[in-house]
Amino acid sequence: MNLDKLTRLAKPILLAIGAVLLITLPFYGSQYTITTFVRIIYFGFLAVSVGFLLGQGGMISLTQTAFFGMTGYAIGLLGYERGIPFPWPDLIGIGIVLIAAALVGLVSLRTYGLTFLMITLAFGQVCWAFATQNTTLLHGWSGFRGIRPFVLFGIDFRNSANFYWMSLALFALGLYILWRIVHSPFGLALNGIRENPRRMIALGYPVYWIRLAAFIIAALYAGIGGILAVYYSGLIAPPTIHLSRAIWALLVVILGGSSYFWGPVVGTFVAIWLEVLISQYTQRYLLFVGLIFVIVVLFSPQGILGIIDALRRRYSIRLAERFSVRPAGAPAGSDKKGLERR
Amino acid sequence: MERRLFAIVSVLVALSMLLMSCAPAATPAPAATEAPTAAPAGEIKIGIISAFTGVFSAFGEMQRSGYLLALEQYNYTVAGKKIKIIEEDDQLNYELAITKAKKLIEQDKVDILTGLVSGDEGLTVQEYMKDKDIPLIPMYSAPEDMTMRKFTFNTLRPTWTGAQPMDPFGYWLAKEKGFKKVYMIGEDYSYPYNQAGGFKRGFCRGGGEEVTTVWHPVPMDDYSSIIAAIPLDKGYDAVIYNGAGSDAVSFVKQYLDLGMHKKIPLHGQSNTFERPDVFSMPEEVAEIQAWSPHLVADDLNTPEWNKFKEAYVKRWNKPPSAAAEFAYVCMIMILRGLEKVNGDVSDKKALVEAMASVDLSDAPRGPVKLDKYHNAIENVYIRVTAKLPDGLGNKGVVTIKNVSQFGPYDPDLYMKQPPDDKNYPPDKCSEMPAEMLKVEKEYEFVPFGQ
Repeated sequence: MNLDKLTRLAKPILLAIGAVLLITLPFYGSQYTITTFVRIIYFGFLAVSVGFLLGQGGMISLTQTAFFGMTGYAIGLLGYERGIPFPWPDLIGIGIVLIAAALVGLVSLRTYGLTFLMITLAFGQVCWAFATQNTTLLHGWSGFRGIRPFVLFGIDFRNSANFYWMSLALFALGLYILWRIVHSPFGLALNGIRENPRRMIALGYPVYWIRLAAFIIAALYAGIGGILAVYYSGLIAPPTIHLSRAIWALLVVILGGSSYFWGPVVGTFVAIWLEVLISQYTQRYLLFVGLIFVIVVLFSPQGILGIIDALRRRYSIRLAERFSVRPAGAPAGSDKKGLERR
Repeated sequence: MERRLFAIVSVLVALSMLLMSCAPAATPAPAATEAPTAAPAGEIKIGIISAFTGVFSAFGEMQRSGYLLALEQYNYTVAGKKIKIIEEDDQLNYELAITKAKKLIEQDKVDILTGLVSGDEGLTVQEYMKDKDIPLIPMYSAPEDMTMRKFTFNTLRPTWTGAQPMDPFGYWLAKEKGFKKVYMIGEDYSYPYNQAGGFKRGFCRGGGEEVTTVWHPVPMDDYSSIIAAIPLDKGYDAVIYNGAGSDAVSFVKQYLDLGMHKKIPLHGQSNTFERPDVFSMPEEVAEIQAWSPHLVADDLNTPEWNKFKEAYVKRWNKPPSAAAEFAYVCMIMILRGLEKVNGDVSDKKALVEAMASVDLSDAPRGPVKLDKYHNAIENVYIRVTAKLPDGLGNKGVVTIKNVSQFGPYDPDLYMKQPPDDKNYPPDKCSEMPAEMLKVEKEYEFVPFGQ
């Protein structure tokens, strides 16, 4: 059997098996497994939002949770309390997110690196403080609770299996679109800006506007995640948009591998399952999750996908040496390509 | 760029690690306390959600000491069946609370759900549980609507509502102490609204004129501007601080530091001077003799309380607190309910009915029975801060017997009123609805200890 052919076949087969397993989950998984996967999806949207900015654009943002919460608060305020029917509160929420992202972006994207981080931190904290202290409109600490999903085309999304399928479809679509964005000329220009903004300016790219567009796209993803979160948990309150959640999102992106497209997804998956599994055995689960984070990042700055990538490369080189053929994808010794990076 | 990013990120990771490890895990390894595994067929599972880590881990720890004591007295066995407890931590974050509730119900398939510290946790979990038949027993969570306007049959609360101890307190201050106007500074969220609501109703009924309310955001460190704004020339009889926890510690400390207690006396809501927070306050707290109402007093001297206290001190080597006693009584109610149905948890309706009719007349804090909305009818104690043999605490002054969550009102009349918030009940007693100022039977005040 030709090694090249084998490895080329393995990928689509594994992907197909994975997709089938995910789609049929409600038939064999327990109720709580579905709940956990829905959580992975909505926090996945948040992580993808953070990961896109960090991995593709080199921007560390601590404000994505604010966008995550904005759609939730819009649904709570307009849909739940004022009784406006389904698509409108959600669309208004998305609209608010886009406008807010544009405004914050216009200001904060004049800066890079740490300064950018501090401005986004400030904005995230302002949103959190506002939600906490505004008792007349947003009900302060209590927030909104008892929000229920909608019924659409006769499909009741209160059923968690239905909700899971909808979330999964949305997530798949969202990731596909993001994949296309990342591999478009726009995505490449963004990568160029991450590497060297000055050179990109010199080359004539509208660096500021490209970064702004990326910031708005990322905010949109966080906002969609927020919609799913508020419907599934039935709750939007200040703890959801607290700084600790923003840092958590950043951590899972790094855990998964910030320079990989799939890093945020893998990171969220691993982090949430770790929490679920370890918290069954000890109340000190945060300590263990944190330790695992540190160990992974210490030994592989490129996260979990970085480890897999390195193992795969080493393995295929060894295979290549034994069969004296070229390893799949790349010449021996080159680290040009393993998993799809960036 | 890459390197710098990595440096920044590493710093962040280190920082968040620090944050994470700062949140103390309130509990020793649970392995020591889990019931020895028995035949799973005869096992009853009790799910417990509490704030075992995070800022409020002290509450989680007190609850844990309370319910474990009860379980150990029963040797984790009821009617020949083993009790298995499954503890989940929610860090007082209600997004997490609801996730853990889902986990306990959907995955662990618990027969009873209990725990819960804050009001928002309680309301959130109750909302999720409302179409399920599994009994929910909030241990410290006090929003009155859980057992009133949003009452669900499976909710049982042998503890309290926010307004329950405050209504008699307000009435007592106006009637017995002759207070006319008080200045109330409160934390801006639902529990203090409910405490203020109960206070205003009682105060106005007792002949008071005005409760001026001022709200501050939570949490807050510096109260100097709020304290400086207290009017000293408007004839206020007292300041009441309507807050708890670290806010109360900071407020009381600054109030004393600024010497305000010499100009206008300070009193508190139920939790303001509660242990263990009062231990962090200056010793002068005992001298200012601040009143506050609660369902326990630290110098209770009944056989029931002494028995509980002795067992508690022996087991945990520290004095019990209200949160611990509440958790203890909740667990006792659960265990006695299970005994009544002979360990058969298949019929949840029968289980709820059994628990609702459990005899709790020997509860440490004083006799407890449930009303038809499954909330406790119990004694309220008005206490005064004092230096007790085991440290700062609250000494009983007056006992009010058999106080229900509706105070002296008719339940239907009470529930017709809007829920307590910032604007209702009104600050001025003259604006209070007339039917809320008259009741058929008022409280009787008994000197403490009789």
